[in-house]
Amino acid sequence: MTDGRRWLDHVVERGARQLARHTSRRSFLSRLGAALVGTAALPLLPVARAAGDERLAAPDDAALHGDVGDPKSCNYWRHCAIDGFLCSCCGGSQSACPPGTEMSPLTWIGTCRHPGDGKDYIISYNDCCGQSLCMRCRCTRTEGERPLYLTMKNNDLLWCFGTQSRAVNCSVAVVLGVATRS
Amino acid sequence: MLAPVLAAAQGTSGAALDYAVTCQGCHRADGTGTPGTVPALAGSVGKFLRVPGGREFLVRVPGVAQAPLDDAALAAVINWMLARFGGDDVPGGLAPYAAEEVGRLRRRPLTDVERVRRELLEAIGRAR
Repeated sequence: MTDGRRWLDHVVERGARQLARHTSRRSFLSRLGAALVGTAALPLLPVARAAGDERLAAPDDAALHGDVGDPKSCNYWRHCAIDGFLCSCCGGSQSACPPGTEMSPLTWIGTCRHPGDGKDYIISYNDCCGQSLCMRCRCTRTEGERPLYLTMKNNDLLWCFGTQSRAVNCSVAVVLGVATRS
Repeated sequence: MLAPVLAAAQGTSGAALDYAVTCQGCHRADGTGTPGTVPALAGSVGKFLRVPGGREFLVRVPGVAQAPLDDAALAAVINWMLARFGGDDVPGGLAPYAAEEVGRLRRRPLTDVERVRRELLEAIGRAR
């Protein structure tokens, strides 16, 4: 063993012994616990709030045949009011942004009927922002869309508001809940 | 965390559904908005009811007045928002918004929203 390695061993050993002398196992466990809780809380911070809106397990698409069950198709059932490039074709999924982009916390929301169970689901069309246009799987569907002067119900707008970048890359279709008419 | 999950599983209807598809896209499910871009409802909306002109403002503000809902549905959404996000700020014994009142107010939209909002916020600040 070289002198350099021996010296390093000595430093590390002395550090470890000092740490053991001055730190109880209980305090180590409490700090480890705090770190784990802190890690669990990270997704609740504002940066991840847009992605955290999904509350409902999405309905099962396995029984759907053809385009209505294909997240890379404009005819996919969730895409009944989407306007933009599908994140499913751009390195993300129907409910997750591609790496390197940020989901806009502001969005426009509509409902789409699932062809399997016949229920109307509340769908949030969030833009993913921070990279230039994906240019794959361009879709324009307009169920429930309103004219531009009703901005909250218009999907021609770029919805990269409240994000670090205004550049839009693609759009997701996140299931938020089931709509029931009472 | 469990309550929203149960609510979502049971389905969303009525004023809660109208809020989800008409307002929530900007104001968020929890009413917190987006600082600097969209005002928060949570911890804020009820304060407007404590100053003169605030009750009218909550209907005449463009996002409410122009919402694609009829007068009765709009009144129900506003009452739902106050119950959900108003908290202790809502004065006790407050009369809920009625369809007739909402219909009358929304036909007089605000032409200078920023000024009116600023003046109301100043009044809210003084009333503390």
